[in-house]
Amino acid sequence: MLKLANYSVEPVLQGLNIEFDIGRTYIVMGSNGVGKSTLLHSIMGRPDLDVSGEITFNGQDISEMEVDERAKSGMFVGFQSPTSVPGLSNFQFLKQALDTKGTEIRATLEKFKGLSHSLGLPDGWDKRNLNTDASGGEKKKNELIQMQMLNTQLAMLDEPDSGLDVDGIKALSKQLNEWRTADNTLIVVTHYEKLIESLNPDAIIVLKKDHVVGGGKELAQRIFAEGFESV
Amino acid sequence: MYKNLYTDRLDSEVIDSYFKLDDIAEYVSSPNFIALAEQSGYQRKVPGVHNHFMDNLMYLREVGLPSNKHEQFNFSNLNKLKQLDILAKQSQYDPVDALERFEWVAHQENSIVINDSVILTSMDLGTKKPFGIQILDNVKFNKQKQDEYIKIIEPTEDFRNLTYAITPFTNVIIFPTGSKKRYYNKPLNLYYENSTQDPILEANTTIVDVQYNTKVKLKENVKAQAGQMNYVTYIVREDAELEINRSTLDCGGWALFDSRFVCHPGSKVTINFDNQGSKYSQENFYFKCSSNVDVNVKGRNNILSGNEYHQYVLVKSQNDNNKSVIDIKNVGREHANTSFVGKFDVSPYSIGFDGEMNNNNLMLTKDTKMHTRPILDIHTKEIECSHGCTISNINKEHMYYLQSRGFDKDSAKDILVESFLC
Repeated sequence: MLKLANYSVEPVLQGLNIEFDIGRTYIVMGSNGVGKSTLLHSIMGRPDLDVSGEITFNGQDISEMEVDERAKSGMFVGFQSPTSVPGLSNFQFLKQALDTKGTEIRATLEKFKGLSHSLGLPDGWDKRNLNTDASGGEKKKNELIQMQMLNTQLAMLDEPDSGLDVDGIKALSKQLNEWRTADNTLIVVTHYEKLIESLNPDAIIVLKKDHVVGGGKELAQRIFAEGFESV
Repeated sequence: MYKNLYTDRLDSEVIDSYFKLDDIAEYVSSPNFIALAEQSGYQRKVPGVHNHFMDNLMYLREVGLPSNKHEQFNFSNLNKLKQLDILAKQSQYDPVDALERFEWVAHQENSIVINDSVILTSMDLGTKKPFGIQILDNVKFNKQKQDEYIKIIEPTEDFRNLTYAITPFTNVIIFPTGSKKRYYNKPLNLYYENSTQDPILEANTTIVDVQYNTKVKLKENVKAQAGQMNYVTYIVREDAELEINRSTLDCGGWALFDSRFVCHPGSKVTINFDNQGSKYSQENFYFKCSSNVDVNVKGRNNILSGNEYHQYVLVKSQNDNNKSVIDIKNVGREHANTSFVGKFDVSPYSIGFDGEMNNNNLMLTKDTKMHTRPILDIHTKEIECSHGCTISNINKEHMYYLQSRGFDKDSAKDILVESFLC
């Protein structure tokens, strides 16, 4: 689905070669400042990053694609600190992003309400301003709703567990497990052991300064026991 | 009115000719014109009004038009304004045609068109009913009252002198005490419109009097298709409340709108406005606050590409316990030029003044020019006053966030502009 070849993002990531397959779940780990968030945002096409190398999505070279074009092709990145947009409600935002019109609006709203309810968000969440006056956890849950509603094929979540309470993390793993199918791919940056356990990932990717270490779930266990130096 | 005054005198020479503001100011304050005005007896029915008008012409002659050295025009592009062509062409502009053009207002409710110092009302306002609006104009002339109101117009060093000089007749709209909340629940619509799209200049000097213990809401629509100079004095009497919602569209012309508020003790004024700018657009707000006055000014201006928009807000607190919140946001698109000058002028007798001034500006391109200047001129100690003025660009992080949700650059920018202005 997504292939990175000789992929560098100056100055943090050098010469990466990674392939993310369709229908699989990946956990990205690494010490602070190693470039985990940078990797996700560079894949999404963040314009201020200096990227070189090859990047293909569903067999198509996307290196020249704008951020919005990548989003429309099915890529989604969940932010660590989602942006507040006062004056635009959570649902209006999604409605505009999906370009929902006429009779489809009601069905879209129902789906939105269903998702926000299952994530434990308060009633009237659809009318609240986008990420304004919301707690860190609520913003993260909102990102999950967007991910599920925006026809996402490749979801890249940057520490989705931060700011979530115990129930929130349960709801998060439930939502992610329900969302996963054979047709989509999930990449999660996290160091939260329980979330990794519950997601039962297909691979763990550890970013090091100038290379990548890949492995199964046991890699994560070793890191939790002995630290990043051990891999 | 200008075109009539001007062309009456210069006859055929001025047909199809263009003039500048300086020419007009110079002419209407020239000894020739003053003699002509004396002779033709402008306002001859009311000696007091006549004298006041003559005094204004003399004062205009003395001070001339303002320059960028004046506080309220510090950053405004006065040169551009003064270089605009103003057409003096009389034959085409038959007053009857103008009346026909605004005939639509007759069928509206609670509506008034103000055009070139003439007031045209909807039919429901024309009928006499208890505590209805009173209008003193060319038709319903009341010498004594007109004489009383005209004294409120003060000589100044800005464009108000010129506006008054070319509209010697002042229209007065009175909301009587007994009307209570009638014009709050059903706002009065005021349309400031030009009668043509040709680059002529039309001017209006108006007085709005909200009497004791009355609550009034005005919905003002300003459409400058040609040149428009408006000078409105709002008198808000004891315990009265005035709310104005003003919208100014770019209709291809230019406009100067001077709003002067005389706030009596215990009164409250709220003005919400939006403006798109134009060839040259300037809105000035002057508040003269007695005591226990509450002034709220909220502006949300989205200045279109290439347009000029300048604003000056002066809150003069003369006595105790006045309160004022100024909250103005401007968005400047490509090649737009905007400025904000805000001033709290607090006298030594104004104890307990509470003022907050905020002006936030969003520049959408590098070619936009935006200025902001807050002035706190405080002459007493026991007050609370704050200001916060910013000029910023679109936040790249915010753009990226919206784009990552599938919005293209233009849509993302529009969303962020709307969000900024909310």
